[in-house]
Amino acid sequence: MSRRLITALLLGSALMSGACATTAKGAKTSSLGNDYAAQTYRSEAPLGTTLAVVRYPAFVDPDARDLYHEAFKNTPIDGALSRKSGMESEALADSVILKSNYFALSLFKELAAKLPEHSVLLSPHTIKKGADGKLYSEPMTQAESLPSVVTVDFAAYTFPDANKMMGKEPLTFGDLITPLVTVKTDPRAAAPTQGVLLASTPLIKHAAGNGKDSSEAVRDALQTGRLTARQSDLDFIAHLNRDTAVTVAQKPLADRSNSDAVRFYPVEKIKLNASALKMLTSKSAQANAAAIDPVSDVFSKPMANQIVGIINRTDADKAAMVGRAAAIAQFDESLAALTLVGSDDPSYLARVRYAERLLEAEKNYLSVQSLRLFDGVHNGEMGAQVRDMLKAEYELLEKRRELARKQNTATALAVLGAIGTGVAIANSGGGGGSDCRNARSQQEYNNCLRRERQRQQRNNQINRIAIDGLIAGTVYAAQTAYGASQLSKSVGTNYLTSVVPALEEQVSVQVNLIDSNETITAIRFEDLKAKLNELYSKNQRALDVAATSCAYAHTGTGKTGSWLGECSGGLAQGSGVGVLENADGTAVEYYGYAANGQPSGPGYMITHTPAGSTAMEGNFTAGRADGVMTVYKGGQAPRTRRYAAGNDAGAASGLAVSTPFNKVAGAMN
Amino acid sequence: MRKTAKLWLGAAALLFTPPVFADGETAVAYDGQDYCITVIGSLPGGDDETRYQFYKLVSDLGADAPEDFRAALSRYGENPPAPDTPLLDVIDIIANPVIRQAAPEITVANMGHLIEFNARCQDAVQGQILSLTTYDSTLFLSDEVIAEDALYLRQILSESLDRLGASDDPVHGAAARAYSRSLVTTRDAVEYAAFESEIDELEAIFMTDLDGRLARSNDIINEEADRSVLDDAVTLAEDMNEDAEEKQKQRDIETLFRILGGR
Repeated sequence: MSRRLITALLLGSALMSGACATTAKGAKTSSLGNDYAAQTYRSEAPLGTTLAVVRYPAFVDPDARDLYHEAFKNTPIDGALSRKSGMESEALADSVILKSNYFALSLFKELAAKLPEHSVLLSPHTIKKGADGKLYSEPMTQAESLPSVVTVDFAAYTFPDANKMMGKEPLTFGDLITPLVTVKTDPRAAAPTQGVLLASTPLIKHAAGNGKDSSEAVRDALQTGRLTARQSDLDFIAHLNRDTAVTVAQKPLADRSNSDAVRFYPVEKIKLNASALKMLTSKSAQANAAAIDPVSDVFSKPMANQIVGIINRTDADKAAMVGRAAAIAQFDESLAALTLVGSDDPSYLARVRYAERLLEAEKNYLSVQSLRLFDGVHNGEMGAQVRDMLKAEYELLEKRRELARKQNTATALAVLGAIGTGVAIANSGGGGGSDCRNARSQQEYNNCLRRERQRQQRNNQINRIAIDGLIAGTVYAAQTAYGASQLSKSVGTNYLTSVVPALEEQVSVQVNLIDSNETITAIRFEDLKAKLNELYSKNQRALDVAATSCAYAHTGTGKTGSWLGECSGGLAQGSGVGVLENADGTAVEYYGYAANGQPSGPGYMITHTPAGSTAMEGNFTAGRADGVMTVYKGGQAPRTRRYAAGNDAGAASGLAVSTPFNKVAGAMN
Repeated sequence: MRKTAKLWLGAAALLFTPPVFADGETAVAYDGQDYCITVIGSLPGGDDETRYQFYKLVSDLGADAPEDFRAALSRYGENPPAPDTPLLDVIDIIANPVIRQAAPEITVANMGHLIEFNARCQDAVQGQILSLTTYDSTLFLSDEVIAEDALYLRQILSESLDRLGASDDPVHGAAARAYSRSLVTTRDAVEYAAFESEIDELEAIFMTDLDGRLARSNDIINEEADRSVLDDAVTLAEDMNEDAEEKQKQRDIETLFRILGGR
């Protein structure tokens, strides 16, 4: 075997047996930034509207477990599965549920601290298997039955391959968390992005798809004369299902422009606050452990800050209008559609005040449930167990990091040894002897040659011993590196296989808490609603104009749409909402004033085409944009344009725009 | 009579005694602050609650009465009370159903008297209300009932004006109709305040009840949670890891031995 080949083989075996191990590093600071003290709530939402609902996967229905595990494994984010990815992915999938349950509460807590009392609700979801064989998620409480300015979907994600735990792949384990988040509003308040305002990069297209589906469902209901606010699946579930993907404009988190685009939040593995984690693991802090939140500074506070900024920038009237009308429709249908754009009529104003106060009472009541859910889970046994689990995971991760360092040292030694062996082999060819050609006689020459051979034999013997030693050292170092790598893997596998019953137990405690909370809340909620409705009915006086259903006509289409609102002679006349869906898949939603069935006066029109959704707000005459309008298009900042008979007649910046929402449009943006 | 009676009786207790003016004078002119100070100063002490009810009632009665409306009251009122007429007598006349039916113009004149008092002495009246509530914030609790009483009296005034034809008067009709409309708004506000107070109560009961129930339920479920499952899992993992470490050490030694022995 040639010397070069031996060197190459040794070097290769050293590298192969114990390639450099990564130590599951996380970012010390999130890309969300640390300016969490900067944003304070300075907006105003209609009475009875929640500002944020935090949604998260809380439980997997037994019938959906296999499908969930399979879908989780088949949709890895930010990496590729190794060939040997094993059964541990099920434990990882279950741990996503548990960790989401726990860490969502931290975000809820920070949002509640920054927003007015009773304005943030928790909405845990159950993951179920639908009749179509796909996953879907269902809210476990009634938090989403009320209008909201934004919804925040949260999941604590882990890459579905245990072999990649120590790599660069996403992980929520020990002192690491990989949050997946989407912040959405109603699609009417952000038509070009289907309501998506901020989202983790891999979820954007599915969140937009969810928004589009929900928008279509509302339009379908309106066509049949009903007002509903569809509760969409969690965006994480849409990702697992690989549901409808819709492309929308995107911009970086730090982009301060007001263009209609989704702020993308890169997937990041964040390191939890080290001192908080240390406190969590110290025995002296056990009594106070519930107050320690290692995720707060590194993620929840900056994210809450971002969300408050988003709420401030979102048009709360547009965001809440459909949800509010749908909630009011449950006890006063004749008023519901009128609330979409409002009215100055005294009988309307008197009545809507009662309706809003009623929604406010429902919202306040449901917020008690959220606060108690937080208390029961975070401050209770369940929270203590998750904190225990965090400690155990942290210790395990530290062990694996230590093994990784050991592996790296051994690998380095093995590589050095292999190089050293190569050098020794290369140098073992002799040299350094005397030149016998200078002998002056034959005998002198023979003696010289004999001495030279003896010297070379001695050298060879010494070299062989040195090379053998180097080879042995290299092999041992490589073996140690390989052993450390294998041990690290089995440490991870042992934990993941052992912890499955504990995960199940903890999720079961969590579900018991949510179920019990919901049962108690629902019984009393029905009772409260009945009493509120009774109070409401007792106090009402007649509306001068009531909302009904009639025909809506849209210029340029022969088809007739549906109108919900004020009608006269079977046609839209006054305020309300009109929808029209064409056979080619395009659709129009119009919120505002109408005359003779057509948009007339201040209005807000959303046009849906296969290429995307756009919106326009301003004055309409005989169904056409006519006057100064605000135009909303994906990827662009809202623009003020002058329109004449439906045609764009140029820029009109600085001019006031008519709006059906009783305020000057554009001020929110 | 409704709960109004209670307040009126309270006001009566306060106002039964006619005001006593200095040096036995009885004539007081409607001129500026002196008039206000004299009338207010002439009222007997009474308890804070009764005084508050009186001032609040006068304040609420005087609402939505701009100058053009007060001019209408002057036009349609007859036999107005003298400036020094005890206010109880004024209220009694307004509430008297016989006078109301037979001589609405007298009702109008007497209401006009109260409204004028409020308009001229608004600062003093509001000052009294403020000073009383500063000492006792619970006085606000009777606001709803006072508002209903005031609305009742104002409706009597509006009906009286209507019977006298003020609504069709080309000069005073607009003011009379505006006053009538303002009553609708006030009624809405009064009814809403009553609704809100009921809903506040209902909300508080339900929220407190729910909070207690959920706290108890959480405690029960948390007590039943089996924390040992996690401890067992962690112990099992640790045992397995120790075993793995031992085996690895053994393998390392064997490797070393093989290497050394193989020389």
